[in-house]
Amino acid sequence: MKKIWRVPLIIRGEVIDEGAVEFGGRRGGAVFTSPDVGKHLEQLALDRPSRMADLYSLSFDDIAEYLGRLSERLNLATNPHMQEAYELSRLTSGLSDSILRNHYENIPHFFRADVARESAENFIGLDYLEGWVPQVSRVNPALTVKVRAFGARAVHVIAGNSPGVAAQTVLRNAITRSDAIIKTPSNDPLTAAAMARTMIEMAPDHPLTRHLSVAYWKGGDTNVEEILYHPKRIEKIIAWGGFASISHITRYLQPGIDLITLDPKHSATIIDSDAFADEATLRHVARRLALDVGAMNQEGCVCARVVYVVSGTDAKGLERLNKLGKLTFEALQELPSHLSTPHKAFDPELKAELDGLRFAGDEYKMFGGRNNEGAVIVSQSDAPVDFSRLLSGRVCNLVPIDALDEAVLSVNSYTQTIGLFPESLKDRLRDRLAYQGAQRLVSLGGAATLFATAAPQDGIEPVRRMCKWIVDESACAELLEGLALASDATAVAA
Amino acid sequence: MTSLSAQLRADPTSFVEARYDEAFNLSREELDEIHLHGLQKRFNELRPRLAVLDALAKEQGIEHINHVDDAVPLLFPHTVYKSYPLSLLERSRFDRLTHWLAGMTTTDLSGVDASDVHTIDDWIALIEKTTEIQLLHTSGTTGKLSFIPRTRRQWDDTVRITANSLRDWHGAGAGPDVLKDHMPLVIPAYRYGASSSHRGVDRMVRMYAGGDDNALFLYPGAYYSADVASLAGRLKAAESRGEQGKLQLSPALLARREEFAVREGDRPEQMRRFFEAAVERYAGKDVILFAVWPILFEWAEAGLARGLSKVFGPNSVLITGGGSKGRVLPDNYRQQIFDFIGFSRYYEYYSMSEIMAGCPRCDEGNFHIPPTMVPYVLDPDTGAPMPRSGRHTGRFGLMDLLPDSYWGGLITGDEVTLSGWDEPCACGRHGPYLHSTIGRFSEKQGGDDKINCAGAPEAHDKAIDYLLQQTQG
Repeated sequence: MKKIWRVPLIIRGEVIDEGAVEFGGRRGGAVFTSPDVGKHLEQLALDRPSRMADLYSLSFDDIAEYLGRLSERLNLATNPHMQEAYELSRLTSGLSDSILRNHYENIPHFFRADVARESAENFIGLDYLEGWVPQVSRVNPALTVKVRAFGARAVHVIAGNSPGVAAQTVLRNAITRSDAIIKTPSNDPLTAAAMARTMIEMAPDHPLTRHLSVAYWKGGDTNVEEILYHPKRIEKIIAWGGFASISHITRYLQPGIDLITLDPKHSATIIDSDAFADEATLRHVARRLALDVGAMNQEGCVCARVVYVVSGTDAKGLERLNKLGKLTFEALQELPSHLSTPHKAFDPELKAELDGLRFAGDEYKMFGGRNNEGAVIVSQSDAPVDFSRLLSGRVCNLVPIDALDEAVLSVNSYTQTIGLFPESLKDRLRDRLAYQGAQRLVSLGGAATLFATAAPQDGIEPVRRMCKWIVDESACAELLEGLALASDATAVAA
Repeated sequence: MTSLSAQLRADPTSFVEARYDEAFNLSREELDEIHLHGLQKRFNELRPRLAVLDALAKEQGIEHINHVDDAVPLLFPHTVYKSYPLSLLERSRFDRLTHWLAGMTTTDLSGVDASDVHTIDDWIALIEKTTEIQLLHTSGTTGKLSFIPRTRRQWDDTVRITANSLRDWHGAGAGPDVLKDHMPLVIPAYRYGASSSHRGVDRMVRMYAGGDDNALFLYPGAYYSADVASLAGRLKAAESRGEQGKLQLSPALLARREEFAVREGDRPEQMRRFFEAAVERYAGKDVILFAVWPILFEWAEAGLARGLSKVFGPNSVLITGGGSKGRVLPDNYRQQIFDFIGFSRYYEYYSMSEIMAGCPRCDEGNFHIPPTMVPYVLDPDTGAPMPRSGRHTGRFGLMDLLPDSYWGGLITGDEVTLSGWDEPCACGRHGPYLHSTIGRFSEKQGGDDKINCAGAPEAHDKAIDYLLQQTQG
């Protein structure tokens, strides 16, 4: 008998675990039941904004202390909720167990008091979170402006390809003193709920516990979304993911709802001819490239897919690029298992394309690609494979170019991260890559291994945008009254 | 052993001479023999002359085919006939495209000099002029055209086999024998073209209708351009490469887009002339109508709106097939079509560009596989063949035994349910058949409500689709 998983509905400190509706199960996938969210909508939506006040009885020290305690409790080895989430994710995730385990084991790190404090400081500034910050004006000293970052009531439609997305969302909600309703995806319905349950067990009445809800409903369910996505009930929607999940939401956009989208992205790599300086350098580059392709099993938007290499496109250039391809494939096979393994559910559509390549004559050279071990495809002309958008499961495409320009112009606004080698390439290309649309530049090898927790994401500042930036303007009483009387006293209001 | 079974065993192409209905009356033993001998014959004859097949056989360690399932590792992926890089088209490297094509066929292409060619249409014409191949291209709904190197003789056979099926499918001589007694041919489409639905038309005009005087087209004299069919896929590919991609779009392609827009602008007038001619020349007369369901529906809708109905004679025949190609048709679309055309005798086939003889549909709704096709149902995860007995669902693999100059083994992208090994269909025919529940594997990917941050720029694609709709009218 196939196990049916239970996904609870959590509403501000209360766990509702009544099953009721069955989800999933397509093509042998995991089946889970969850409460019918439509029946609990009145509770789920926080339609009395005055109830945000309790969050402001907390100092940031209180918040950091709470998150620090939570960090200790999210330990996978001891937390049964996190264990259950991990077990279900083993069935729903594209990540192999060893990688997934590594991700779960890293979750407590996000919540450490010092990490949370630094995140808050770098994302927003503690002073703005803690109080009203005067804005100095030399032009108009008579007017005093103060700004404070307030939390907002938000729905987070999160992605499920890594449990880190749920963890970041819980963290961001706490540091901004917001009220979050996390709408979980079917490929990770339990991680956010596990964290919320842990919070309830730790501090059931704490305001941070009472301002986190976690729900699963099928994206696009109008019974839920028509009611919830209304400016009376929420102020922001933070939506991760593809066209389908965003297009459900755009139906409900209206004045009063701020949509923050974290679109699906792809990442790329640019390697200059320095890689071919000598044998040792080439091996070094191959290892770092393998990391960008293979870490997270290429499930992340940050992972490298198309790799432009200034190898030259003549016979000699192709020869050395083929060598880099071979070394990269070998390095990919040697990556440690907590970072990368053969993919457990290799995309059959991609497999058919790889199988087709052997019939493409001498247009491509492929290393690997027989089963699920991953592959390095080396184009033998300066064009990526036509199926570059399908690249996944540790399959990358090395493209030879004669000049950096071709790589730079191939970048567009769907390119998230670009891994670069050598380091000096950043100084040369940084600005131009930004014009084209790139959003994050990393040293080769760092695409999916370095995570500056408190850096802007996708070229926007989602955490700053999660806040409401409230302004307090003052001027002396006489001056204001003067405006009503004198015809030349308009300067202050400008 | 029946004489048909002995003939097919010796040479699968002799199917073209057969009484079509007999092919669905063979015993299981006869069918197994035809399949095994056919596989052996094709493998032994093609392997020495087809480098791609030889390489695959070496890699899989296959020297002989002793059992039907031995050929499974030799089935080509369905991507094979579009495995060339699109960039060859943008850069007008038709010499390299020719080189790629040469690897797929035993037909000698060494005399083809495509160095001055700039469009796919010109390339197809050049190959037709200088070799035995009359290329077939797919319609490009997936964004990239497949090119299949079918020869003149193979095309003759394909069109004759279809005629045989019209004559004998419902019993020997029960249908019209159009090769002998010509019938008017009506096609609501282009007169010329190399796509799967246009390539056979030239022969149909000659062999079924007896010439152009006895045929009517929506676009008489017009050519269905492969360059235009490839437009969507090429624009998408270009977009995904940002500015660099736009810089590389072939000027020849962009020029064709203009031309196409002009022609499409003329479409309502063409449609009006077509309806007028259909009524004037063929009202009440028996005709052969050839079109896929969605096109027929579009036509019927326009015709009914003009107040036309029951246009043709009651003994007309409709040759049709094809999925909805992404279009949503109303539940009663067939009835609307029949109301308009005035008859309901239709022959429907499950087919694909890669195979020469399709699978006709019986009154039970099943698609019967002709003995010249060796069917396999493959496990979608492992690719292993399911037993040749009982009823199985999985990925459809097949070996078309008819082509003798390219390899007919293919793993399709279709999910099928196959029965008929042990018992005949309720319609009385013997041999394997596909149930009507045929779906695409690619439509099953993704699953419900799974959200990933890694992905393709779908929104961008939608924008391009929109732009294309504007030019396609």
